[in-house]
Formats: sequence, C-alpha cells, structure tokens
Amino acid sequence: MQEHAIPGARFVDPKILARIGNLELLARSVVEGFINGLHRAPYFGASIDFAEHRGYVAGDDIRRVDWRLYARTDRFYVKQYEADTNTNMSLLLDVSRSMQFASRGIPKLEYACFVGACLAYLSQKQRDRVGLISFDNDIVSLVPPSAKHFNVVLQTLDRSKAQRPGNLAIPLNKMAEHFKRRGLLVLISDFYEEPDTILEAIKPLKFLGNDLIVFHVLDPAEIDFGYEDASSFEDLETGEQIPVVPESLVKEYRQMIQAHIGALTHKFSDHRIDYTVVNTAEPLDRALFSYLSSRERMMRVR
Amino acid sequence: MSFLTPFFLLGLGAIAVPVLVHLIQREKKRVVEFPSLMFVRRIPYQSVRRRRIRHWALLMLRAAAIILIVLAFARPFMRQGAVAAAAAGGAREIVIALDQSASMGYGDHWARATDAARGVVRGMGANDRATLVLFAKNAEENMRATADRSRLEGAINAAKVTSGATRFGPALKLAESILSRSPIKRREAVLISDFQRSGWSGSEEVRFPEGTKVSTVSVASPNTANLSVPSVSFARASFSGQERITVTAGLSNKGDEAVKDVPVTLTIDGHEIQTEKASVAPHASGSVSFTQFTLTGPNVRGTIHAGTDLLPADNNFHFVLTPSAPVSLVVVDSGASPTSSLFLSKALSIGSTPAFQLEQTTAARMTPAAFDKRSVVILNDTTFPPAAGGGALRRFVERGGGLLVAAGDHTTWPQGDADLLPGRLGATVDRVSGRSGSLGYLDYSHPVFEVFKAPRSGDFSAAHVFRYRALQTAPGDRVLARFDDGAIAAAEKKIGGGRVIVWTSTLDDSWTDIGVKPIFLPLVHQVVRYLAQYEQPASWFTVGQVLDLTARAKSKTDRIVVTPSSERISQSSLGEGTEGLLELGEQGVYEIRTPGPASGRPEAIAVNLDPAESDLSAVDPSELVAAVTGHATQSAVQPDQAQEMTREESERRQSLWWYLLLSGIGLLAVETLISNHLSRKEKFL
Repeated sequence: MQEHAIPGARFVDPKILARIGNLELLARSVVEGFINGLHRAPYFGASIDFAEHRGYVAGDDIRRVDWRLYARTDRFYVKQYEADTNTNMSLLLDVSRSMQFASRGIPKLEYACFVGACLAYLSQKQRDRVGLISFDNDIVSLVPPSAKHFNVVLQTLDRSKAQRPGNLAIPLNKMAEHFKRRGLLVLISDFYEEPDTILEAIKPLKFLGNDLIVFHVLDPAEIDFGYEDASSFEDLETGEQIPVVPESLVKEYRQMIQAHIGALTHKFSDHRIDYTVVNTAEPLDRALFSYLSSRERMMRVR
Repeated sequence: MSFLTPFFLLGLGAIAVPVLVHLIQREKKRVVEFPSLMFVRRIPYQSVRRRRIRHWALLMLRAAAIILIVLAFARPFMRQGAVAAAAAGGAREIVIALDQSASMGYGDHWARATDAARGVVRGMGANDRATLVLFAKNAEENMRATADRSRLEGAINAAKVTSGATRFGPALKLAESILSRSPIKRREAVLISDFQRSGWSGSEEVRFPEGTKVSTVSVASPNTANLSVPSVSFARASFSGQERITVTAGLSNKGDEAVKDVPVTLTIDGHEIQTEKASVAPHASGSVSFTQFTLTGPNVRGTIHAGTDLLPADNNFHFVLTPSAPVSLVVVDSGASPTSSLFLSKALSIGSTPAFQLEQTTAARMTPAAFDKRSVVILNDTTFPPAAGGGALRRFVERGGGLLVAAGDHTTWPQGDADLLPGRLGATVDRVSGRSGSLGYLDYSHPVFEVFKAPRSGDFSAAHVFRYRALQTAPGDRVLARFDDGAIAAAEKKIGGGRVIVWTSTLDDSWTDIGVKPIFLPLVHQVVRYLAQYEQPASWFTVGQVLDLTARAKSKTDRIVVTPSSERISQSSLGEGTEGLLELGEQGVYEIRTPGPASGRPEAIAVNLDPAESDLSAVDPSELVAAVTGHATQSAVQPDQAQEMTREESERRQSLWWYLLLSGIGLLAVETLISNHLSRKEKFL
C-alpha cells in the first residue's frame, strides 16, 4: 500500500483527480467570501465582469469613471463590476453505523470519504475554505471551514468511523445554528429515513441560503438486494435480526428502494437541492465527473 | 439397569447438538449484516417461524438416535435377572425335554407344547442355562446348555413333529445325564409331552439325582377320538399265472365314541381302487376287505386311508407289494411205490406264500441239470442218485441249496458224501409192536418249529411213527426233534451256504401216519421254506426300524435313497460304519434308486407309524415323576448359594448394546430420509 505523508491523503486519489481536476465546484447561489474567488459575491468589486453604471458621488475613485460615457452624456458615471469571491465549503458526512456496510469491495463510508475529499480538494484549489462536520445521531467531529484546513479535513476523514446509529434531524439542526454565513454544503449520507423526515431535517440548512449538494451513497446490494440464501438479516443501526428469504421479497424491496430514491429526487428537486445517488460499485471518478459536468452545464444554463 | 462403561453417558450432552442445529447454530451461521431493514420490515413475511422449532418429530428422532447410541456405548445390562436368580436360589440348569413323537401331531398338542417350551425359556433368569432335548423314540440334545434365550426359542421354533414313537426312557436318561454333569447345583427337568401310556413301561430305570426338580407339562387332551389303520393283511391267490391280492385293512378306534360309516379307501399306485364304509365301536377294532386285484409287477405301492380326525398321520397306512417268487424244488424218490411222494407233492401244491414249483423224479432218471435253478432237493426214501455223485450234490448245497433227506428202507448214502448228512444213518428201528412212537421233543427255537411254539399251534403227538432209521449225529449237528424214545427224529447240518435236514422216517404212510395229520402240511411248508431260505418280502416297516440295504441287494453297491420328504441320501453319505444301513425315520414310501438307466420300478419301502402312537391314552405325569425322582410329590429344591455373574458376564450375555446401536442407526436412517424429504419440500425455508 502506498504510504502518504498526510493521513487521509489516500482519499485524494491522483487517478480520480486527473479525471475531475479541470472541473470546478461552483456555488450555485451567491456566496460571501473574503477574497476573490470563483463564486459570485453579494458585493460589487474588482473583477472583469461589468455589472452596471451609477452616478458619480463624491468620494468615488475617479479611476472608475467611465470617460467614454461622460463624453457622450456629459455626466459622470462610474462603472461597477460584479465581485467574485471565495466561499465556505462544508462537508457534512454521515458516519452512522449503516455507512460501514460493504457488500463487496469498498464500504460506503470510505466511498463517501473519497467523494468528500475530492470535492474538498476542488474547493481548496478554488481557494474556497473547506470544513467538515461528521455526524451520526449527533455531531461527531467539527472542522471549521478554513483555507488552511484541507489537511485537517483529510485527517478527520481518515479517522472517521461508523460506530453509532444515525439520525439526521438532531445533528442537522445543530449545524443550522452553527452556520453564520452562506456557503456550499455537501451532505453525504445513505438517508435511511423517511423522505419527509429527511427533508424536514435538511430544511434549516437551506434557510440560511446555503447551496446544498446531497450525495446519496448506496451499496449495490442496497439497490438490487442480490442475496440468494435464506438468512437472518441484521440491521446495522439497531442490531435487530429478521429472518429473510431474499427470493420472496427482492421484487418488493427493489420497488421500495426505487420509490425511496424517487421520492427524495422529487423533494430535493422541489427545493433546488442537487441530489445525486452514488453507487459504490461505480468508479468514483466517473460518478464525480458526471455530477460536476452536469452541474457546470446547469450553471451555464442559469 | 447398570452400565459397564458409564463414562460414555457424558455423550448424552450431544443431545444439545440437534437443538442447536434447530435453533442457534443454523441462524448464526447465516446472519447477514444489512445497513437498514426499514424496507424489509415493511414486507409482510412469515419466515419468522425459523426461530421456532418447526419439526419436533425430526428433533425427537435425532435426540433419540443420540441417546440410543450413547446408551449402546455405555454397555447397559439388566441386574434384575441376576438379582432375581440370586433371590430364588441362584442359577438353574434346566433341561427342556420336548416330545416330538407322531402323536404330538394330534390337534393343537404340538402348538401347546412349543408354547409351553417357550414359556419355560422366557421364565429363565439371567444366570440360568437350558438344554433343549427333542425326543420321540430316541432323544437328541438339540441345543446344548446355553443362556441365550433367543437361540433356544429359535431351536424350539425349528423343531417339528416327527413320525417316531414315544419313548420317555431315552429322553429322561439324557436329561439325567446332562443334569448330573452340570456344575450348577439347582437342576430342573421339564418334560413336555402328551404322556402317552405306550411311551412309559415303568422299567426304564431312570433316577434323577436327589434335589433335581422334575416338572411336567401335559398337553394331552381328555377326550380323544382317533381312528387308525394299524395293519393290513394280504391274501394271495394265483390265477392264470398271475398273483391276485385281497387286501384287508385293520381299523382301530381308540376313541370313546363309535365311528360310523367312515370311508376307507384303497389306493394302488396312486389310483383309488375302492372305497368301503366301515363302522368301529369305541375302543374296538374292525377290518375292511377290498376286492381282489391282480398284482402286475414288483414294488406296487398301496395306501389305505381311513377317515379323518385330529391325528391324520395314523389314518394312512402304506404298503408295497411284490409278487411272491415260487420256491422251486425237486422231489426224488425211488419209484418203487407210486404213493411214496403223494403226500409230499399234495402238500406242496397247496402253498401260496410262497408257491412251490414242484418237480418229481426218480433217482435213476435224475440228471445233474436237476440241480440248476432249484432251491431245494428232497431225497424221499431213495437211493443216492447217481447224478448227485461226483460232488454235484455237495456243490449244490454249498451254493445255498437245501437238502431234505427222508430216510426209509431205500435210503442209501455213499461214504464219500457221508459228511453231507447230519450224522450217520443206522439200522431201521421198528416200533410196530406195542405202542408206536411219536415225536417227543421239538426244538421250538429252530425256525422250522418256531411257529408251532404257541399252545394249540400244532399237535405233533398225534402222529404215529412205526419205523425210523437210527441216526447218530456228530458234534456240530443240530438235533431238531426226537421221538418219544429219545431217538433222533430230525437233525440239521449247515454246509457252506446251504442246509441239510434229515428226517429219519418216511413222508408217506408206510412208516408213519404223519402224512395224514393236520400238522403235516405246515411242517412240510416250514421245512421247505427254511431249506430254501425263503423270506417273505416285508410289505411295510415301522418308523424307527433300521434297514440293511446291502442285505437286500448285494449286487447294488451304489444306491440313492429318496425319503418320503424327497430328501436324497446316497449310500456313501450314510456315514462310516453305517454303510448300507438306513434308519427309517419318516412315514411314507422310501425309494431306493440305482444310478444309471432306469430299469423298471425303483425298489420301494413302505414305512408306517408305530401302531402304539395311535393310542393316545395318557399316563399320569405324577406317576412318571415319582418313578424317576423317588418322590410321590416333588421335593423342595434346596436353595444353593447364588452364583452371581460378573458385570461383564451379565453384559456380555444380554448384549443389549447391540440392539440399542442398531436402533440408533435405524433412527438416523429414518431421520435422513425425513429430513431429505422436508428439505426438498421446503427449499426456500
């Protein structure tokens, strides 16, 4: 295994980044930042994007006077440009016990860490501030957004362990109180709750004007329920065991999980929340690339 | 119950295995972790019954199989048997004498007898040993002393009623011998029989050792009805050169009620010839005569069948008939008187069993060929025939011929052949004056006179003898009769295979009037039969008789005997020392066959039951017990010190582990079948 200087650096896989490295994770809404960045700021500032003209008032920098317009109109107008800024990108990572599930290959939590790390890398490259909040039925760890916290985020991702049962409402409510500034929130979870409950839990985050991106991480076994032998199934969250004959309920199960995903898609779409189902069986680069590409296209449309 | 290796009982813990298989092990083995069962929970599903024990029967089977196998390894044995035996006075040596004579075939006697024998076996303690003695006329130790009850019961089940007669003596002697040899102190003999009176004469001289318990089980029925055919007689007559037979069957009714109009059937060579009705009073005998039939050849088989009753064996009587061969003889007289051989020839022309083929000649005309194919030569008051000279007569006698010399006036005898006569003939003794002579002494032990032994069987004193020739016998010659004056009337000498008898008077009316006396004819017949060594072929034998086959047919060395039950016995298999001897043990017809191409009918031997077997009257068993024990009532058995068997011995004898192991394996096989069936049926469970 390749050794990395920074714990968690393994989540920033060069192979994945080589695929998505030329993409950008842009906030769909206006975000507030301190420095120039890729995101639109609520303020006018120095940039190359012309916004509007306004009348000169005392105190304005005469360098911003549009002399060409003065020549035509004989009035002093000042050119205003849209300000570009950076933003806070916070990863909200579900580390409930169901996230440790892996039918084959990589566990969902690890896959989620990859997703988060890659997005954090993109943000950090865009000079956004990156932070991380992991939660299960409460907040587990908190890395405040900072331009210097990328490594801390990676380290925290590396230490993440799915140990306790999960609950969205409590930790997300706490987070909503925590965020004081609009930013980009990336929520990664398996969403094993009723769609209405999920939406109710997420709404407070949205109220602040945050741009919310949701990744629904699912193992292929959770989607197609490809079991054959009759077995006792143990709920990783509750520990409850139920005897199950897969053949007799696979059809119903698939219908129910698809209905669940459909309901989430519908509800998130209504609230302008990007919702992406990520199958851990799919290569991560492909999943991220398709998402970011589609997001970019959507941004242009707007 | 105790166990030889109780540590194996720890294996009973293995019963938990099937329970775990049902409840725990199977579930744990297939637990699948899943992120959340929120969707699964919504699907109604009945498979929660997996948590319960679904197949109690299967579980019970598995548990029972494990218990049985573990118990088998622990080697269990019952101590009750040993303790009971000890409490009752220790181990017993038991002899079970089971009567298998023909009379046990009456009704349900045999079934009751075998039930009683099995009851004795089942009542044995663990330490008891028993010997099974089967007896009829003889007794045999069928099963040597053993404690293995299953083997004893097997031997009892395999025993069958035989055709033998009942004799208690050999069985009791054998039982006494077995018990006296036994090291076990408690000895017991159980006699199971119908206790036929005919089987016990009272002079068997059997005495069991003191302390031996003799118990009896009588299966005799109180009121028996039995009709039997004890004998058959044949009247032979010659007609047109063929022999005609009249069969008369004797019937015996041993029951308390008269038998009326019972059909009696004569069967000859498998064909029913005639059926007659007969009635016999209770405890009486009767007879039925059938119409004459012609005897066409040798070894004709016949059977008399009379009625049906609870003892069918004695309702049949088998016989074999062969035409009697005539005795060929030549009478040589002097020719001086035409009546010299009249009485003799008349007497010999009457015989039918056997018939006599008589040729009469004179000494002068006699030729050497006259000796050929003749059985007897009678020199009736004649000179020594010239044709008999030169050793011809001697050779005839030595070959087995018979010679009767009736000495008279004309009788001469050459010196060269003087040793042919039993003694030397002397002068004529005249008894004319005074009281004539008569026969005063007869050797009734001789075959000639044996038939006259019984009173009123022939009055020889009525014959008068007026003259006779003195005879001086030599040592070795046997005097058969003497006159009242002590002179020899008849003497015999055996030469080679033949016999010579001299009658010192004449056989006509010149010297004696015996020719006109009633005794003359049977006497002449007896003498000629004896000299011809004639033996009437037996039409039947009785079960138990031993037949000397070599004596019956000397030329036939290789023989195969087919018994009535179709068993084939070659003579060589009869055993060393018993070569040619055949014990007739079955009722029916034996066949004696010779290898090679069949030449006519095979020789047949009819064998019938001992007539005594038909008499079912029973002797009191207590009388028999008293005779063999010396006590009118059974003496109390002295309790001996218990011979406690070791644990190992008890376990080895009982061998319960074997049954447990087999049962356990059987249960596992059943369990496999059931579980396979259920698996196929519940594929998705």
